[in-house]
Amino acid sequence: MTVSRPSSDTAHLYDGKTVRSAAPSRKKIAGQIGTGSDIPKDAIPQVEIPTFIESLLGGPLIPKTKFLPPAKMVQNLQLGVYGVLVALSLMTYMISPSEGTIWYMITGSLGIATIFQLIIIATATGTGFWGTFQRDGRFTLVSHLLFILAILRFASSKVMLSNDMFELQDKPFLLSALVVFYAVLLIMYFELTNGVIRYSMLDTSIRTNEVYVMNPQKIVGKYHRSLLINPIIATLLATFVLSANTILPFFVGIFSTDTALRMEESVELISVYGVALGTFFVFCVVGGLFALNLPTHLQSFREKRAGDN
Amino acid sequence: MWSRKSAMLGSLAVAMYLLGLTLRNSQLVTIAVVIFVFLTWAALFGGHADVAATGRRAEEWTGEEGAALNSVSAMRKLSSARIFEDGELNITLRMQNHSSLAKILEVRDRVPEVMRIKDGANYILMELGPRRETFIEYTVECPLRGFYSVGPVAVRIQDPFGLFHKEKELHVYNDFLVFPKMEDLKDTFVKSRVPKIFTGAVNIRQPGPGSEFYSLREYFEGDSFRAINWSAYARTGKLMVNERERDAVSDIIIIVDSRSVAETGPVSRNALVYSTRAAASLAKYFLSRRDSVGVIVYGDEVVSVDRDTGSKQLYVILTKLSGAVARGNIPLQVVVNRILPHINKGSPIIFLSNLEDDPTIVNALRDFRARNFDVTVLTPSSLEFEFDARRIDRTGYEVMKTERDVLIGELSSLGVNIMDWEPDMLLSTALAGARGF
Repeated sequence: MTVSRPSSDTAHLYDGKTVRSAAPSRKKIAGQIGTGSDIPKDAIPQVEIPTFIESLLGGPLIPKTKFLPPAKMVQNLQLGVYGVLVALSLMTYMISPSEGTIWYMITGSLGIATIFQLIIIATATGTGFWGTFQRDGRFTLVSHLLFILAILRFASSKVMLSNDMFELQDKPFLLSALVVFYAVLLIMYFELTNGVIRYSMLDTSIRTNEVYVMNPQKIVGKYHRSLLINPIIATLLATFVLSANTILPFFVGIFSTDTALRMEESVELISVYGVALGTFFVFCVVGGLFALNLPTHLQSFREKRAGDN
Repeated sequence: MWSRKSAMLGSLAVAMYLLGLTLRNSQLVTIAVVIFVFLTWAALFGGHADVAATGRRAEEWTGEEGAALNSVSAMRKLSSARIFEDGELNITLRMQNHSSLAKILEVRDRVPEVMRIKDGANYILMELGPRRETFIEYTVECPLRGFYSVGPVAVRIQDPFGLFHKEKELHVYNDFLVFPKMEDLKDTFVKSRVPKIFTGAVNIRQPGPGSEFYSLREYFEGDSFRAINWSAYARTGKLMVNERERDAVSDIIIIVDSRSVAETGPVSRNALVYSTRAAASLAKYFLSRRDSVGVIVYGDEVVSVDRDTGSKQLYVILTKLSGAVARGNIPLQVVVNRILPHINKGSPIIFLSNLEDDPTIVNALRDFRARNFDVTVLTPSSLEFEFDARRIDRTGYEVMKTERDVLIGELSSLGVNIMDWEPDMLLSTALAGARGF
């Protein structure tokens, strides 16, 4: 069936009439004079979407608005960063001997590799200091990357120290604890540098009335508590997780003493693969808890308990 | 939800873990495990599990977790549902925590992008105690006309390190209307050449030239002798004159061009913005003079407000003007053909347009003039807006300006009262210019 639809063409309205000149199309003229026919910039609302790097740093890479002078909270965080940075640079030097670094693999010279390694650690420390002092995310990002580069080692299955002043090399547990402590320090450094920028932004936003913060002491207090509690808990839990390969034989020993003994003496289990196997088991359990939506149940339980009280 | 920071840390940990296993380097594995533990602890006990665990929206949420989602609610109150451009709107947001646990919340009440926060803040970071509520007050300035909506309220809870966060949108919306702002006009110099003669001329309870008796008043010099009420003079001993009730003298038709080309120029300075403000001001003036005013807005369709009088009519007109959106490209000739049979001959017609991209304008206005309509054209110049915004160069501007002047001259020769309305010119000045004053 043919349906007759009204045409959208309005030409028939002008039949028999003379169409006179009118102002030319703006787009045509704009094209002729070479100014382009793009959508005007001010017709599009400005939406600030942080880039990937910016979101990692918790703020813009190149600050568009200059931070106001740091508040006391930010100054305290900066002092914390300086302290952690000194400890981190010393620890990095200690636990990353030049053997096994990429510089040693490339040059084959221990002396050159040591110089390279020291330069990297010194640069990481310097940029970290400067970035924190200036509250400039670009420098802190460079510092993070350099610290990661400094600890990447491409050989050796055991933890080695470049400067064993406390003679820890023969004490595997303490050596392992030292690496755990180093890792926690590294994460805390990442977090604190990020915190300096985040809280500078927040402080600036508060003082420029962009954001209103009710009871800021409580919010800052919670952050301070987390800075203290989370590293301790992370250290304890990580020690537990890394000891899984020694804990496993204990549980196996309940059922079979011989098997447990063989496991304890097994080279594989005390090697890096043993550590990996242990952590794999632990994280399987953690993954299972998440799959069962434990966080939500935990929250419901807390709410219920608070409600009963 | 994972933040990018936690995703980056997670990726770093995975990379170190795999590299450690590949190279048999227990140091890298140890560092990776510590990072994993740190992330796991933050995810498990970050104090944020009371909002959607997957970041899904409330209406998509089914299951046990839904109860936790409902623990935060919001209500909003606006000081007014209708304001004029550049007016201020006070918004009060009421946040409630129904849970028995205190929560640290980031709350952002979404306001339209063109609005400016004048006082207070729509972005709040707060600790909301158990079973407590709080009021957040802020003021927005509304610089542009239109239909707007405030909302939704975005609520976010995250762990202290910003590794994991949960967001929820509370779908609370409040609509309001921003009318175009109006200029006070003393005189428009627009009068009907043909009295309104059809039966049922509206009596407007205002003294003026008319046929119905309105009141008596004392004689002043200059009053016509024919108006003296001799009976009243005989009664009171003072010269008294009759005042007559003024009839609605004319139908005023205002045509607003809201084609897409009308929005050429900056957002706050373009022909459509000027035209709507002018139409609102003119409507207010004529309605206060008790004239009957009709408005036609055309763009992708022809929207008309039938002629009527009174303050209700002003409200209807303002509402239509607020909703005028630059769209489409209907030629003026189509509008003229459609309205010609319905308007009284001789009625003043005010046409507001930048006169661009429409080859039918000359013929359409000639049709009006041929039927003896009193046509006034106010033409806000998009060229000036664009030149001021440095979007066109001098040569292009001069060429287009010349063509525009030719068109204006051509329309003027038809007997159309036309004025090239420059951006900084007051409406009253433009009108006076159009009418040859």
